[in-house]
Amino acid sequence: MSQPSLRDEIATQEVEPLLPIEKKLIGYSLGLGIVLLVVLIAVNHFVPIKL
Amino acid sequence: MSDIAIKASEPLTLRAQLTEDWLAVVIGLLVFGSALVSIGGVDLLGWAVTTSVYTDISLALSPFAKGYAWLGGGGALIATYVALLAVLSAGVATLGADVRKFALAFTATFAIAYASWIIGSYAYVAAVTPAEQQKFGLTWSLKLTNEGGFIVALLAGIVIANFFPRFANWLKEAIRPELYIKIAIVILGATVAVTAAARLNLASSLLLRGAAAIVEAYLIYWAVIYYVARKWFGFSREWSVPLASGISICGVAAAIATGGAIRARPSVPILVSSLVVVFAVVEVLILPFLAQTFLWQEPLVAGAWIGLAIKTDGAAVAGGGITESLIMAKAAAEGIKYQPGWILATTATVKIFIDIFIGIWAFILGYIWTNHINKGPDRAKPAEIWQRFPKFILGFIVVFAVSLWLAIGSTPEIAKALPAAAGEANVFRVIFFVLTFFSIGVLSDFRKLWQQGFGKLAAVYFVSLFGFVIWVGLLISWLFFSGFKPPLVS
Repeated sequence: MSQPSLRDEIATQEVEPLLPIEKKLIGYSLGLGIVLLVVLIAVNHFVPIKL
Repeated sequence: MSDIAIKASEPLTLRAQLTEDWLAVVIGLLVFGSALVSIGGVDLLGWAVTTSVYTDISLALSPFAKGYAWLGGGGALIATYVALLAVLSAGVATLGADVRKFALAFTATFAIAYASWIIGSYAYVAAVTPAEQQKFGLTWSLKLTNEGGFIVALLAGIVIANFFPRFANWLKEAIRPELYIKIAIVILGATVAVTAAARLNLASSLLLRGAAAIVEAYLIYWAVIYYVARKWFGFSREWSVPLASGISICGVAAAIATGGAIRARPSVPILVSSLVVVFAVVEVLILPFLAQTFLWQEPLVAGAWIGLAIKTDGAAVAGGGITESLIMAKAAAEGIKYQPGWILATTATVKIFIDIFIGIWAFILGYIWTNHINKGPDRAKPAEIWQRFPKFILGFIVVFAVSLWLAIGSTPEIAKALPAAAGEANVFRVIFFVLTFFSIGVLSDFRKLWQQGFGKLAAVYFVSLFGFVIWVGLLISWLFFSGFKPPLVS
């Protein structure tokens, strides 16, 4: 498919509603990410960078 | 993959990406291995050209090793060009490229890129400290350091892309920023190891914090940007996956890998990739200077931030190099002399950690898409994790491990000679950085941003990058790296 038709496609594409599996992917990713970041911040606190 | 594919060849294949990765490993190891021979007393690469800050251009160039002084600067430049032309021509021949076209285009690419580097080393551009200005008899200078040459190369490429499109098209066979930066990253393993060997505790601490970059890029950035693309901008799943991956993970490679994993049409991630390159250029032109202005007292925060904020390996790692030069220059002007290498090592560590997981993330997305969204016979297979793994990282790890062993696990004589050998390899790392910057510039056709439809993609990128990615990256970098400085020059 050529780029002009891709551009038309972008401009005119219909909205696809978020499926439950997509919502799960987004939610679990964010949740896991925040939990892991908190854990890493704690590790960073208790095991500071050594010079 | 080669960025040339974005413009030059529509049918992009995973196979080509893998081949280019392995080619980068082979060339990177060739440079590293040749440099290591110098430890045994045989200098194979001492003829490589280096550039000093100058006011008299006849004194700008010289061979790396004094043993090759008879070559002179011009001879060293020609020798370097011929060697690179031979090795890269043989390399791209294995990729199925037109070697004659490549040789001609590479000649022009090398000439413009290295001329840019020489311009960047002009004292009025590069001199930083009052002592340097006094040495060259200057009353002012741009204080960009000699690595301002990267910016000059980038701008030269942008001018060609936007004002001389036919010339840019003629150059395309040699415009391979991903190949160049992957070779540079493999070579960088030696410098990082030599730097790390001096402070193993600090180096191991940096590695631990690389994990935070993985969490941030894959689990937080990706989820938010995918949501923004789908919900706020109404993009389809096929467009949103490569877009979110390109903006949040590692740019072009991520867009291609995840686009392939969800079985998107090849042209979709290719179009996203060209957008990623354009934004990476904008970031490289802005963020290092912001880092110098606001983060010069937190060098490692700056290094990590660049690695998290700038997408595409080339722009990020090369941006880390500029940031290091700018911050070291500013610190030096304040009387603080940091050991070189730490800021760039932080950027490279962050970027490499992010890259390592692209195969796994692509498989996870592929599994979800082919089993739950677009069910069909072509299901994602675990073997794809290895297929999509960026192989050049193996080259970096090998070079890093061998160099580290030589630095701390071998004889004192070898350990003493290793920094010089790594420095010799580093000459080529710098040249590949320059080629990367110029190539990225040549691929940066800003007119695309204004084309109908493309603006909507750019809007997602703009909103995500400046509304979220940059600031969260800064916060995370601050949380993990603030208060810790590179060692000082003793």
